[in-house]
Amino acid sequence: MARTLAMFTDTSLCIGCRACQVACKQWNELGMEVPEWTGTYQNHAHFTDQTYRLVRFVEEPKPTGDLAWLLMSDVCKHCAEAGCLEACPTGAIYRTEFGTVNINPDVCNGCRYCVASCPFGVVAFNESTGTAKKCTFCNDRIHNGLGPACAKACPTDSIQFGFRDDLVTKAQKRVETLKGMGFKDAQLYGADSKGFLGGLNAFFLLLARPSTYNLPDSPKLPQRNVVVDSLFSIGSALVVGLGALLAFRERGKGAGDA
Amino acid sequence: MLKSPEWELMIVWYFFLGGIAGGAYFTAAIADSFGGPRDRAVARVGYLLSLPLTAICGILLVVDLGVPLRFLNMLGKFSFWNPMSIGAWGIGVFGLFTLVSSVLSFSSSARRVVLRQRIGLVGSIFGFFLASYTGVLLGGTAQPFWGDARLMGALFLVSGASTGMAAISLILFLTGGAAGEGFGKVKKADRYSMIFELVILAIFLALLGSAARPLVAGQFAPLFWGGLVGLGLVIPLVLDFVGRRAKVLPAVAAVLVLIGGFVLRYVVLMSVQA
Repeated sequence: MARTLAMFTDTSLCIGCRACQVACKQWNELGMEVPEWTGTYQNHAHFTDQTYRLVRFVEEPKPTGDLAWLLMSDVCKHCAEAGCLEACPTGAIYRTEFGTVNINPDVCNGCRYCVASCPFGVVAFNESTGTAKKCTFCNDRIHNGLGPACAKACPTDSIQFGFRDDLVTKAQKRVETLKGMGFKDAQLYGADSKGFLGGLNAFFLLLARPSTYNLPDSPKLPQRNVVVDSLFSIGSALVVGLGALLAFRERGKGAGDA
Repeated sequence: MLKSPEWELMIVWYFFLGGIAGGAYFTAAIADSFGGPRDRAVARVGYLLSLPLTAICGILLVVDLGVPLRFLNMLGKFSFWNPMSIGAWGIGVFGLFTLVSSVLSFSSSARRVVLRQRIGLVGSIFGFFLASYTGVLLGGTAQPFWGDARLMGALFLVSGASTGMAAISLILFLTGGAAGEGFGKVKKADRYSMIFELVILAIFLALLGSAARPLVAGQFAPLFWGGLVGLGLVIPLVLDFVGRRAKVLPAVAAVLVLIGGFVLRYVVLMSVQA
């Protein structure tokens, strides 16, 4: 496996220009959609099968009474332990040699288990192709020595592309700098490969708690429940089976057995 | 903000009919192996019911896919702890068992009866599986309530058992088999299942706590409390206990149990995706 690639989105540098969102649409040939009223400048409200990069516009009340603008360019996290990849029954969702998570549209049969299993609501179903869609980390570009279109287009370096280990070191320094400047809640999200989901290959620097940005504070791999749930099911099968056996056993034989 | 998989009415029907198919099959197998010769009618009805239902289940699943012609892609891979993957394999294997058992249910030669009993007991494992894995599948998603419900598989299994037994008793009633001893036994087994279902449901809700809100407090709450708990469990149990002598009441109770089983799948699936 090649060295893991990553995208580091530093929200403190985002100016909300949406160049990333547009570049993503252009490069990946994603169609236009009917705009939605979200009550803020944000459009669309959520990821869709035509929106893989989405700039979030969050308005947070400050102690002084006015509003602070938190801007964040959100994207598929390419989790090291990915719920969508674990859910996929066909093998359409796979991990590339660079550590990114991709969907092979020729194999996907549209069962939508991945849609239900993404802890971030990233994977979307495309009605016209009948398959699941999400950010590809510009798979074609990274296999030709180019960075993802969004990172390339970002005018403030809020989105940076590179090797994961390099970017994590850079991000940690940046958090310290920001804390020194008075941003008390500055924190990395998904940078720690020992943290949740084995770390995110698209990780973030946030200026407030993750939930402020509509991100789960500590996302979990949904498949962690399957073993326990199965054991409970087997237990109930034994009880139900025993009940049926008691109802159906022949009295003569049953008395002898007991 | 999470995304819903849009598993709607077709999947509700699949969960419901899959539960009946699995429940009817293992009830038939238990009646076949542990009951007397007079319970053979129960076994035959159970086997013969599970076959077409499993076929319908397969069709529903294929049609609901985004690209139905690619359904075989599910079988290109086997992932052991992936309910969607094992489910696709499981329903296929179970279908074969229902076919063989149905064919053998017409035979009365001693050797074939023994063969059918053995096949029935092995097939029951797949019947239990079909009735419950759909709940485990929901428990393995990132959705609120589904992902929090540790007993969804257990609840679906017990509901599958009681609806499968109710379906058998209803068919016996309609075909004039209600006078036989097997009818009384399958009603008795159904009562045990319903009582167990109430217990599981109570633990299910207690473990969920506030995560059960979409079910017990939202717009689906009247359907859950009225349709499942009231109409689908408590009333049929009462009818069974007080009205055992009246001829029609057991059949009415069976219909109510079936309605309750459908309502359970409906509220579980739709309350999260509404």
